[in-house]
Amino acid sequence: MASGRTAMGDKTVIALNLKGVGHAYLGRTVLDGIDLAIAEGEIVALVGPSGCGKSTLAHIAADLIEARAGRIDRGYRRHAMIFQEPSLLPWATAEGNVAFSLKLAGVPRRERAGRIVETAERVSLLPEDLKKFPVELSGGMKQRVAIARALAVRPDFVYFDEPFTALDVALRRRMQDLVKETCAGGQLSGLFITHDLQEAARLADRIAVLDSHGKGVLGVRIVPSARPGWDDTAVFDWVQSALKHDPLFRHIHDVDERQIA
Amino acid sequence: MPKILQQSLFERLADRTGRVLEFLWSGWAGLAALCLLAAVWQAGHEAYGPFILTSPVETLRAAGALAADPDAWTVGLKTLQRAVTGFALVAVVGGALGIVAGYSPATMRLASPLVTVILGVPPIAWIVLAMIWFGGSDATVRTVILVAALPVVFLGAARGIVTRDRGLDRMARAFGAGPVRRFVSVGLRQTTTTLFPALALALGTSFKVAVMAELLANAGGIGGALADARINLDIANALAWVVISVGLLIVVEYTLIYPVKGELDRWRRAAQPWGIKR
Ligand SMILES: Nc1ncnc2c1ncn2[C@@H]1O[C@H](COP(=O)(O)OP(=O)(O)OP(=O)(O)O)[C@@H](O)[C@H]1O
Ligand SMILES: [Mg+2]
Repeated sequence: MASGRTAMGDKTVIALNLKGVGHAYLGRTVLDGIDLAIAEGEIVALVGPSGCGKSTLAHIAADLIEARAGRIDRGYRRHAMIFQEPSLLPWATAEGNVAFSLKLAGVPRRERAGRIVETAERVSLLPEDLKKFPVELSGGMKQRVAIARALAVRPDFVYFDEPFTALDVALRRRMQDLVKETCAGGQLSGLFITHDLQEAARLADRIAVLDSHGKGVLGVRIVPSARPGWDDTAVFDWVQSALKHDPLFRHIHDVDERQIA
Repeated sequence: MPKILQQSLFERLADRTGRVLEFLWSGWAGLAALCLLAAVWQAGHEAYGPFILTSPVETLRAAGALAADPDAWTVGLKTLQRAVTGFALVAVVGGALGIVAGYSPATMRLASPLVTVILGVPPIAWIVLAMIWFGGSDATVRTVILVAALPVVFLGAARGIVTRDRGLDRMARAFGAGPVRRFVSVGLRQTTTTLFPALALALGTSFKVAVMAELLANAGGIGGALADARINLDIANALAWVVISVGLLIVVEYTLIYPVKGELDRWRRAAQPWGIKR
């Protein structure tokens, strides 16, 4: 964790600080001794093999489940979450689903319609899709409604739990750009869970790798995203060389190793 | 903005009108079934004669005569009032208990054997007990309705809560909903899936049990009228009262249960392709 600290400097404001967080499901430990700090305005990508406890960690950080051990300090004002499954209310239209978060955030009724239209446009949802029920939407559309629901409340911290997996390549890029724009413009920080290193390198300021058994963060790497000319080729080259030379990333695609072990 | 709103209002209105028309159209099927029943009834009448089974036309005529009689209205409305208040009672009590049990496994474990016991006691026993406690009053009828329909409503409500999508609870919590908010906006709405069929069943039970309790407890109402018809061996009147009580049930069901259910199930219907709705 020392590398993470120095990267952020000493004067930065911490948006989220996890210290020694651990969790067990029915006595089976899934997370143990997790330390991770996210500074204001920073996006940290969390990668690790399937089932290593990434979603669990995000849920603990967002106070959806209680940690068994450790301390969580939240410095942000309002968080939002994009879940691994869209988790839409089936009885409400796309519009109604976005309105749900606005209502909970205390946005007055008059302003809601405007916000919904605006956010839907940002996630490329057509106005006619807004009138549809989740059963009438495609998987990618549902996920975009979930993204809109999270962004509509104008949070300053977002938990992204593999949000773009259901989207096609073009849409995925657009959503990634959307996140980047939102971050550059406002004071958005976030924890971005993904298993796609390419996506992580494109979006995040730092990449944290979770141990495949959830026993701590193995390491954190700074993404040189501030570097001039940080375009797709640069991202690709960085990921390739990281995969080849950095021992930290050696095991993140080894799902089978975990199952055999 | 106003234009969009206007359009959506129009669309909603059109959607609703469409649903009402479709609903009325489905009435033809119901009418066909009723005609079939009348045909079988007529055959029975011709085979056994008017003293065993009056003809459907004769019965309808008797029902028409009752409909013209203000005293008969009082009798019918008495049963209606008892059945509906009993139903409301069981809906509130059963629904509340079921929801609590759905959220609290301990309550569920405690309540399940009790439900089995209540299910096991024959309704007639409850009528006897209620008669001893309350005599031939409204309270007797309501108590019997409550006991008879409670298990169904309880299980319907509990099941809805137990089988709810916990992911939605989690989602609501992530967006800052407290426990009450989560229950009202997410939990309660999901219960309706199983609670509504249970309520429809309970409503039917309420009417049947109300008439039965009235007859046995000599408490007036349609049950009392049926008892009189039995004494007079007036089969036409007896059947006319049966027709009236079934008619009352249908009226209540279609004004109370179905409109709400249609509104709640809008999203389910959206998933069905045209042509095979309902
Ligand atoms: N509700 C639960 N009850 C019991 N065990 C659970 C529960 N949720 C998750 N687990 C277990 O905890 C571990 C971590 O799960 P988690 O969902 O956090 O993984 P993940 O890293 O998000 O995986 P993926 O990348 O596939 O989404 C898994 O081994 C899983 O079996
Ligand atoms: Mg996950």
